[in-house]
Amino acid sequence: MSELKTEVLIIGGGILGAAVARELSKYKIDATLVEKEVDFGWGSTKANLCIVNQGGDALEFRKEYQRSKLVWESMPMMEPLCRELDVPFKRIGELTIIRNNDEMAKYRKLKTRAESVGITCHQFIDQETLRTMEPNVTKEAIGALYDPMIAIVDPVRLTMALAENAEQNGVNTMRETEVLDISPGIDEFEVQTNQGIIKSKFIVNAAGIFVDKIAALVNADDFVVFPIKGYVGVLDKKAGGLISHEIHTRPEVPGQMNIVTPSVYGNLFFGTTMQLSKRHDYSTTRETAEIALRTAQRVVPDISEKDIINSFTGYLMFRNWELGWHECVVSASGKVPRFINVCIGYPGVSAAPATAKKVSKLLNEEGLRLEENPDFNPHRKAIIDFSELSVEQKRALVTEDARYGHVVCRCETVTEGEVVDAIARGATTLDGVKFRTRAGMGRCQGGFCSPRVSRILARELDIPEEEVTKKGAGSRHLLYKSKRLLEEMA
Amino acid sequence: MTLQDVDVAVIGSGPAGMAAAIKAKETGAQNVVLMERAEQLGGLLHQCVHNGFGLLYFGEDLTGPEYAHRFIEKVMDMKVRPLLETMVIGISRDHEITAVSGKNGYITFRPKSIVLAMGCRERSRGALNIPGTRPAGIFTAGTAQRFVNVEGFVPGKKIVVLGSGDIGMIMARRLTLEGAKVEAVVEILPYVGGLIRNEVQCVHDFDIPLLLEHTVIQIHGERRIEAVTVAKVDNNRNPIPDTEREIECDTLLLSVGLIPENELSSMAGVELDPVTGGPIVDEMRQTSVPGIFAGGNVVHVHDLVDNVSWESELAGASAAMFAMGTKWPETWKIALKSGRNIRYVVPHTISGERELTLYMRVGEVEEGVRLKIGGIASKALRVVKPSEMLKVELSTAQLKKLKRGTKEMVVDCEKRADK
Repeated sequence: MSELKTEVLIIGGGILGAAVARELSKYKIDATLVEKEVDFGWGSTKANLCIVNQGGDALEFRKEYQRSKLVWESMPMMEPLCRELDVPFKRIGELTIIRNNDEMAKYRKLKTRAESVGITCHQFIDQETLRTMEPNVTKEAIGALYDPMIAIVDPVRLTMALAENAEQNGVNTMRETEVLDISPGIDEFEVQTNQGIIKSKFIVNAAGIFVDKIAALVNADDFVVFPIKGYVGVLDKKAGGLISHEIHTRPEVPGQMNIVTPSVYGNLFFGTTMQLSKRHDYSTTRETAEIALRTAQRVVPDISEKDIINSFTGYLMFRNWELGWHECVVSASGKVPRFINVCIGYPGVSAAPATAKKVSKLLNEEGLRLEENPDFNPHRKAIIDFSELSVEQKRALVTEDARYGHVVCRCETVTEGEVVDAIARGATTLDGVKFRTRAGMGRCQGGFCSPRVSRILARELDIPEEEVTKKGAGSRHLLYKSKRLLEEMA
Repeated sequence: MTLQDVDVAVIGSGPAGMAAAIKAKETGAQNVVLMERAEQLGGLLHQCVHNGFGLLYFGEDLTGPEYAHRFIEKVMDMKVRPLLETMVIGISRDHEITAVSGKNGYITFRPKSIVLAMGCRERSRGALNIPGTRPAGIFTAGTAQRFVNVEGFVPGKKIVVLGSGDIGMIMARRLTLEGAKVEAVVEILPYVGGLIRNEVQCVHDFDIPLLLEHTVIQIHGERRIEAVTVAKVDNNRNPIPDTEREIECDTLLLSVGLIPENELSSMAGVELDPVTGGPIVDEMRQTSVPGIFAGGNVVHVHDLVDNVSWESELAGASAAMFAMGTKWPETWKIALKSGRNIRYVVPHTISGERELTLYMRVGEVEEGVRLKIGGIASKALRVVKPSEMLKVELSTAQLKKLKRGTKEMVVDCEKRADK
């Protein structure tokens, strides 16, 4: 077993851990980011509605809520961050549907209160304006509350880009590295992982839905989090034109959010029915799928079951679920020095930029020296998206590199050149290629491209094709070479 | 020939595309190109190593690759120009084709006419919305077929097949021959989705359990699939409580339907039929866009390749005539409507002036029926099934019975009085 020494160990390569890693790479710090999955952003970050929202906080802003502040501070930071990292960001605006006078009265009050603390972006729009903005929205709506600030991103690509940029700027990143135990020492922690020992002066615990478990390893704090499971359905791009804003209705039952939103790639997402669950269970159920579809159809009646191309489960971390409210933890442990807990839970993506800054400040207060890294380069170039290029760019690219003329994913028009680039940047699995390039995310869901991507992965990684996995250890997709089974039987 | 002189461009070189290209050339089109994204002509025929191809067309029992080679040779003899490793990424209403190719770069050209022959694709798990986890080991039957027959891999050794389409049943047999154990073929309907010959030769002959009126209601396993829960369904296809049982497996194949591949057609503004999923065509297989024709599984999913070839020959001949400027009089257009127990009829319109073959499918299994074609033709059948396409030929004599000015003709599948 190897031993590694680092100054700051960040546990958890989701959106928050990756944002912290990238923030720390602005300083001359020896930082290490560890992620137990085979890729960054594959926990809660992956199963996400992709909305940069205000978590209901803009209307319910409370100075005493840390998450209100973090989300609010992050709002102006997200777009420049996405631009620096060359990942999609679309400010589409949000419409909260108002169906009756009671709701109207309630929103009036909330809006007035929000304005009293300086949040003035909301405006009421009447039924007619709503119809012009969103002709396919439910006829039940008598109007809507419009928030033009709301945007959408691709949280996994953003996370991968943050990790990639952090790495470019000197952060050590380790995947498939699971923290098993932590022993606090006098001036450094000894962290046992499945890849060996890591010794670190500081620890940032950004372990997502396992944040309390990691904290418990050092008795850092006794906070309890409740994993709340939500369902998201994905609709074919051909349904993408139904709406152009994020649209939702106020939950009628607590814990039920009825959201329909475009994705940055032109699909629609709908979700989510939320329920308390055990945290390992990423399965969907028939019942939640049906409820989610029905409630989505109450917002946009023309949504058709026929257009569903995929569905998944995501987790939100709530504290005080039973009380119906949630507050995040971004603070130094009161019990163990040099140990920072980061649990946003919801909305993690929206709060990430300010949270990262806050963590570096907390580390500094705990004794970490922050000396600027003069070589820090904030820019990272995305993998070329062939389908988005102009005719001239396409022509030039195909001429220069024939691999861009070889389309491997027909639904999303992804070329071999893009797949090879994704692998060069760290994709080692079918899903790794999918989240970086969209090969397999289209309407045929990998039926066409998976044999092709599988073959390219084996070639580029120089491994036998039967070693290629869907998403890391234990998920090989081809179990036998031809005739091997017959030999086994004989 | 440069691409700027192309008369007819055929998109896709499976059985439909090859037949269309050959026929276009035979009809007199000078320059015919056959565009194919793979390295060789033939499309999916290469992965269909089983037999049963060509019984009608050649009067011989051929394998998929053999059937392909008959046509590939003819393509070469006829000097059709193949454009291999070339993916068409766009077609416009005015016939401009955009394609990319590692070999030929970024291509745009404007043939005089186009034949759409892109075939079909399989419905995926997402389209079925099967609840459960998202592990490795779930394949559409056709993707598994490619892995086994072309790439040289066996996906797993304990297999469940959901759906009893032809490829699913054929893969159940294929995987059994490769040493895997097929635990069950699970079909939600009371009868199989594919051909009766495949039910007998691929499922029963290999003692594979066939669970009719059952479906998979949950998928288990985090990393690799470990089991599925199956349940019996009621008449509305809803799972019946307390009939659930778990079947251990490491692989789930899906054979739950094929969808004509019409992304390019839509780009060109071709009008689609929501029932077939393919273009609305007239008897010449012209789509709603003049000069764009379609044939084979891109129009409607066939169960026999022989019919794909025949239908596409018609599209190819028409495309050649269009390219050569031969106009056919569009004086009379009769819409064919689906009546009792008829799901669809292709073509969607006829002229009433030329003899032709109607292709149709019924909605439900029925015994002792008579197909009635708008009062001009009828055909008694012992049994009809949604899985078996019906063909009715209309002769000029029968068409003469049509009253001048008829705008619509209904096709019914009637219960025979004596049954």
